[in-house]
Amino acid sequence: MSHENSAKGRTLSVSSRLATLGAAAFLGFGAMLAAGWYGGTTIRAASEAAVSIQNNVDQVEAMRLANVDLVLVAMDSIIDRDEKAIQPARLETIAASLKTLKDGSEAAKRLAAELGKPALLDSYAGDLQQIETAISVDLKKMIEEGAPIEAFAAIDDAIDSGGERMTTALGALAEEGSALLQARVNDAQHASSTSIQYQIAIGLFGMITLLGLIVYHGNMLRRGIFAVRDSMQRILSGDLNTVVAATERGDEIGEMARSAEAFRHAAVEKRALEHANEETRTKIETERHGREAVARDDEQQVKVAVEALGRGLNRLSDGDLTVVLLDPFRADLEQLRTDFNNTVERLRNVMAEVKDNTGSIQSNSGQMRAAADDLARRTEQQAASLEETSAALEEIMTTVRTATARAEEAGQMVDSTKASAVESERIVSDAMAAMQRIEGASSEIGKIINVIDEIAFQTNLLALNAGVEAARAGEAGKGFAVVAQEVRELAQRAAGAAKDIKSLVTRSSDEVKTGSRLVQATGESLGRIGGDVLRIHEHMSSIVTAAREQTSGLQEINVAVTQMDQVTQQNAAMVEETNAASHTLAQDAENLSRLVGQFQIREGARASVGSPRAVSTASRPAPSPARNLVSKVAGAFSSSAASKGNAQAAAENWEEF
Amino acid sequence: MSNAIKQSGAFLEIVSFHLGEQEFCIDIMAIREIRGWAPVTPMPHTPPYVLGLINLRGAVIPVIDMACRLGMKMTEPSERSAIIVTDIAGKLVGLLVEQVSDMMTIKSEDLQPAPEIIPEAQRAFCRGIVALEKSMVCFLNLDTVIADELAQAA
Repeated sequence: MSHENSAKGRTLSVSSRLATLGAAAFLGFGAMLAAGWYGGTTIRAASEAAVSIQNNVDQVEAMRLANVDLVLVAMDSIIDRDEKAIQPARLETIAASLKTLKDGSEAAKRLAAELGKPALLDSYAGDLQQIETAISVDLKKMIEEGAPIEAFAAIDDAIDSGGERMTTALGALAEEGSALLQARVNDAQHASSTSIQYQIAIGLFGMITLLGLIVYHGNMLRRGIFAVRDSMQRILSGDLNTVVAATERGDEIGEMARSAEAFRHAAVEKRALEHANEETRTKIETERHGREAVARDDEQQVKVAVEALGRGLNRLSDGDLTVVLLDPFRADLEQLRTDFNNTVERLRNVMAEVKDNTGSIQSNSGQMRAAADDLARRTEQQAASLEETSAALEEIMTTVRTATARAEEAGQMVDSTKASAVESERIVSDAMAAMQRIEGASSEIGKIINVIDEIAFQTNLLALNAGVEAARAGEAGKGFAVVAQEVRELAQRAAGAAKDIKSLVTRSSDEVKTGSRLVQATGESLGRIGGDVLRIHEHMSSIVTAAREQTSGLQEINVAVTQMDQVTQQNAAMVEETNAASHTLAQDAENLSRLVGQFQIREGARASVGSPRAVSTASRPAPSPARNLVSKVAGAFSSSAASKGNAQAAAENWEEF
Repeated sequence: MSNAIKQSGAFLEIVSFHLGEQEFCIDIMAIREIRGWAPVTPMPHTPPYVLGLINLRGAVIPVIDMACRLGMKMTEPSERSAIIVTDIAGKLVGLLVEQVSDMMTIKSEDLQPAPEIIPEAQRAFCRGIVALEKSMVCFLNLDTVIADELAQAA
């Protein structure tokens, strides 16, 4: 701790130094208290142990006596055995002794354990049991029954030997316990003296430490305070050049030293300031005397200059901007004269500009007035046009609605046409089937005809053979030959007819083929018509959609036109206001030019104002594009409306010009 | 038979048939049967006009294309063609003709001999010409037409 103090010796504050002292005292007393408490605790534990051992030794002593009593009572009983009963006093003594022996066995065991010699009591429990049995059961029984003398001798020996052993054990135990007790007492005394020595040592050490700290810190504080006191006494006595000592310290004394240093600095500065003030004051005094003489001379010249300026300003207030101050002023006031001349020159120029601009404003305000009149008229026309536009839009919307309805009707018609086309396709396919059936029938007929032809041929052959046979039969076959000839002719006719039918059937088959081809072509063209109808249907529906969109678009246009109408109305109102304002402006411009004319700018000339410019032809209005659009749209729907619209438009265009 | 031609006032019964555009006829008595066309079984190493063999109720008989035999182009057999089965010198021979056209009875006088300016060898095929109102029919001499071939075939 003292080492640390020397390291931080000059930075510790006074309170921390005091705290160090307090902490050292606290630590010393604490250490003494701890040593005392520890010694007391040790002594108390040792005396408690001694007391416990004392108790145990006492009990063991009591047990030893009880045992002796028991043996003696037993002996007496044996001696008085002729009474045939043990005296009740003896029985009580026996019971009390046994009880004492039994109860103390635990304390004896504890004592033995504490001594570290439990072997001393190894036979104690067995001996006690033996004696108890022998005295309270066997002996009692023997006495009451009047047993022979030998038996009494035997039991007497047994009791004696057991009692002897127990007495020996208990005696040894008591002896050793006493020795231990003495040792414990000695221990306690030794501990008590050691504790007192410790306390004395600690107390001495704490006192020496505290004394050293007090001397060290006291020296440090005293030295610092003396240094500061000396410095402050030097300052008081007027010595401001010596620096205050101990300002480098980190404690409260260092702060005091620094404050004293600050006082010293302030005193030095104050002295320097007083010197400076004194010098300044004397210098001002001398200057003031010299200046008063000059001032009187100046006053005169200033008066002259003020009068000249007053005259010039009076002429200015009369509107004469040609005024110039020619007489020179005093040197320092000469600037005033040139400034006045410059100002008047500048004012003259500005006024000339104002005069020119006033003329221009006048002419422009006149033009604005005319233009505002035109604007008002055209705004009215625009409002009228917008109303017409709105009406035309209504017509267009009606037309578009009609177109939509017609397109929808056309769509329905196209639907029914489509159904008809489908129906006719079915009919065509039926017709084709019928044609094919006819063709099949024709080929059947052809087959049958072939059969007939074959039959005719065979018949012919048979008839020929018959004719041959008839010829070979000679005269007898004449009749048969005639019949055969007839049959042959019939067969030939049948063959001819079959050939005719065949050619007819072939022709009819060709016709049927042509017919079916035509029907097929018809079917294809009907299919194409169906496809075209579908496309027409699509177109119609897109037309309907477009017409609806047109309707909504037209409604939006209508809304927009209505808004435009409102805006135009507002415009018209605003144009009215503008018109009034421009009239006022023109009048104001005239007033302005009159006012400006009051100023005299050149010698003998008053300001004049130019006349307004004429309206140029470039400001002619262009034809309205919206009107053109409306007339175009109207023309797209009905020629009569278009012609009307055109006529109207022409008339309005005329009006515009 | 040549005698028969020279007999006047007698009647001849003939069967006429077509070969191409021409019409021929043969004596009816030489005919055994007339039948429709049936496919023939060709014979190897035979002249072009011998078409082949057919089975006539168990008897095998040769078939001769008459058009080819008479120096015209080959007949195209069809269903309407006919085979005339003839008995020539006791042998049965089938003649393929295009079409059997008629069976008629003519007078002997109507049979005119072939013009003599035609060489004998060629005239031997023809027993005469039957002049009808619309056409002329050549009366074939079957003995000469077939005889050589029969001999060769035998």
